[in-house]
Amino acid sequence: MKRRTFLQFTAMSAAGALVSGCQSANEKLIPYLVPPDEGVTPGLANYYASSCRCCPAGCGILVRVCEGRAKKIEGNPYHPVNRGKLCARGQAALQELYHPDRVPQPLKSSGPRGSGQFTKISWAEGLGLLSGQLKTLQREGGTDRLALLTPQLRGTLATLTTGFMRSFGSPHHLAYEFLAPDWLRAATRKSFGQPSLPWYDLAQTRYLLSFGAEFVESYLSPVHYGGAFGRMRQERDTVRGHFTYVGARLSLTGASADRWMPARPGSEGALALGLSRLILAESLFDRGALAANGLSAQTLLAGLAGHTLPRVSQLTGLSEQVIAEVAREFATTRPALALAGEGAAFQSNGPESVRAIGLLNLLVGNLNRPGGVYPDLGSPIGAENSFAELMSLVADMNAGRISLALIQGNPVHGVAPATGFQAALARVPYVVSFSSLLDDTALQADLILPDHAALESWGEVIPLAGTRQPVLGLMQPVVTPVFDTRQFPDVLLAVAGELGGSLPAALPYSSYLEMLKKQTLRGGAPSGAKDSEALWESLLQKGGRFGKPGQGSGYRWSAGAPLPEPGEPRFAGDQGKFPLHLQVYPSTAFHDGRGAPLPWLQQLPDPMTTVVWDSWIEINPKTAAALGIGFGDLVEVSSPRGSLRLPAFIYPGIRPDTVAIPLGQGHSGGGRYAKGRGANPLELLMLGPDAAEPAPSWHATRVRVARVSGEGGLVTAGHPQGSYRSDLIGI
Amino acid sequence: MKKMWVISGLALAALATVAGLIVMYLLPLDLGERSPVQPIAFSHKMHAGTNGIPCLFCHRYAPLSPVAGIPALADCRDCHQFISAEAPEIKKLVGYWQRREPIPWIRVYWLPDHVYFPHMMHIRARLDCAVCHGEVAAMPRITRSVHLNMGWCLDCHRQHKASIDCWTCHI
Repeated sequence: MKRRTFLQFTAMSAAGALVSGCQSANEKLIPYLVPPDEGVTPGLANYYASSCRCCPAGCGILVRVCEGRAKKIEGNPYHPVNRGKLCARGQAALQELYHPDRVPQPLKSSGPRGSGQFTKISWAEGLGLLSGQLKTLQREGGTDRLALLTPQLRGTLATLTTGFMRSFGSPHHLAYEFLAPDWLRAATRKSFGQPSLPWYDLAQTRYLLSFGAEFVESYLSPVHYGGAFGRMRQERDTVRGHFTYVGARLSLTGASADRWMPARPGSEGALALGLSRLILAESLFDRGALAANGLSAQTLLAGLAGHTLPRVSQLTGLSEQVIAEVAREFATTRPALALAGEGAAFQSNGPESVRAIGLLNLLVGNLNRPGGVYPDLGSPIGAENSFAELMSLVADMNAGRISLALIQGNPVHGVAPATGFQAALARVPYVVSFSSLLDDTALQADLILPDHAALESWGEVIPLAGTRQPVLGLMQPVVTPVFDTRQFPDVLLAVAGELGGSLPAALPYSSYLEMLKKQTLRGGAPSGAKDSEALWESLLQKGGRFGKPGQGSGYRWSAGAPLPEPGEPRFAGDQGKFPLHLQVYPSTAFHDGRGAPLPWLQQLPDPMTTVVWDSWIEINPKTAAALGIGFGDLVEVSSPRGSLRLPAFIYPGIRPDTVAIPLGQGHSGGGRYAKGRGANPLELLMLGPDAAEPAPSWHATRVRVARVSGEGGLVTAGHPQGSYRSDLIGI
Repeated sequence: MKKMWVISGLALAALATVAGLIVMYLLPLDLGERSPVQPIAFSHKMHAGTNGIPCLFCHRYAPLSPVAGIPALADCRDCHQFISAEAPEIKKLVGYWQRREPIPWIRVYWLPDHVYFPHMMHIRARLDCAVCHGEVAAMPRITRSVHLNMGWCLDCHRQHKASIDCWTCHI
């Protein structure tokens, strides 16, 4: 045919095909097989108040549930800690519930530890195995060979575990978390005679001085303090407040500061004492406060005589002028507030540095005053030296004194290997894990009895800090359990019932829900079962029992408490071989690592570096240039303990003699999103400068960095060079 | 090329575009099937017409929820395990139940994703179902007899003094 005809035919058939393609297929409408449960109306959402347990802050949440499926988590506006706001970790908790790698039923290991080979078993068999192990211990008269490892617990869960261990007859209950503020309690006890955590009235302060306290990211109660910081800046008409940040690394919190003081690592305490000395010498202190706390300016001044401006300037590497300026600003802008954080506490002189920073608060008279620091009535007591307990348990496990370990949480990832914990655990003959995601610890276990996800659980969440008043947040299941899992406390109760003896008498509850209800309503409801039910429902609807700010005893300097003496900081590792200081910090996405299995958090760009799906090491541009390291290069970081390979991020907001690595990645388990990704910087850490005296001085490790190749594989959400104005930040 | 051809070609293209636009404006744009064949020959005429079953008996979420809902398989079975058990269509129904397979009905009434249509507000306004869905009680096979376009909705909203604010329907 002619070419024209051919073209016409082609065009017509193409047009015809297009037209017929315009008709779209109708959707399908798939009904239920059986009508949905009572209370479920398709298309309408139910909202449940519950509590978040993604970090110890314990914010209140509202969960939107459609047709029996949890859809979205937001903050609970009634909850005094977070007042309706919520951080990324709380939002992402939704992914834990429907995670594709959740353990659906109990598992028994069928291969060597760490191989990941497990067989599925029933709950009857799983509970039978556990009670069998416990009964054997009872029979052999070795009930003290049981160890229970949990995070730091509060409320009914603490009561239950304590009761269980006591009735069973074992003293080995280790409640340990890497980031637990034991150091803050210990310092507060030494200075003020009571171990309650402080509550900081950020919203009403006018001068905030933070020594490495990352209150917007992870310190104590980040959502609360983030909100309070916002109120400090914006709530008062003409007052914006001033924020000075002291730290070797400019964190996200530090990035909001008006002034950054990049003090030499370990010199924070000396700086605080230098500021105190100047405030006393220039008579800028609060006379009434000193008198009320039974202190005399002369004595203090005499004790601080060594911390002159030149000396402190030399120790910190900051100019005398800056130190004097900050001291005067801090003392004359009232109310002023000083925060001591992990940046200071994790040094070898940490405990005394924290006390020195506390002294600053006393000098400017902000104890128990608006804009200052109060004792947190919700957190009057808690662990003060769980590190020592950890080391003691490690020694017991190494000596073969522990036959059975029950572990809730992920200590195999979250405990620094320098403690010897992981090696010691390998020597325990039988390990039971309650992990719901086959995490690093579960991979080393012989039996896994998977816990419910947080959104399927009953419980209470007592905030670690963040309120002045006692707060009891209630946690309720918002969906029926997706898999055949059981709550950890229910497993303990079931096993207690099976073991008999004094155990059921000590724990006379058929379920954890019953115990929770009884304990929550105790002394709360007027008589009558109907009233209790009504009260219980009203508490659940609100999200918990929120007390009123009470008076309580305030902070007062303990009579006879010695003057803080931080001393020179010491570091592990020879300075010649290991020239750089290493700081590890909890990442905003993963906290201490518990968020790594959740893909939303992996995808969340780090606020300072915008890195996703990876770990990195932050190096100062000058240091990197001297070592020939470019952006994204693969580098090897070596400490006296070992080495890791990480991509490098050129970060101007860090001292040239310091490098920093975020915590949270480097899992060997935890599902497909966490496994084998990034590196765990805990592996590099040493137990302080003195091998003979292990201490939780996590920032006292020296390292060296060397370039390996240009293939770091770093992925950032922003332009590789970042959108920061690096010319604005410099040291 | 001759100038004449270019000019007449462009004019033709312009004319075609205008004609196409007019046609698009006039024609109904619901290009889905109006009366698709369903997996089971369910007759609304038999159930709602002859037997007088009220709409809300099966589509029970309409007064409560934005979606009206279609009955669960168990609801159909509740009656039909006894009623007309011998009919071939009922046998099909029983087959679905025994396989625990929900019946994949073909959707006939739908609105695009950018429209929020809450059934419960319209039930509350005491609108009869037939106003939007047509004379369903007379349909042996469910047919989309009404064209659900925005102008038609707005006409009724204006007539009944309901909100015509953008955010009412386009949240």
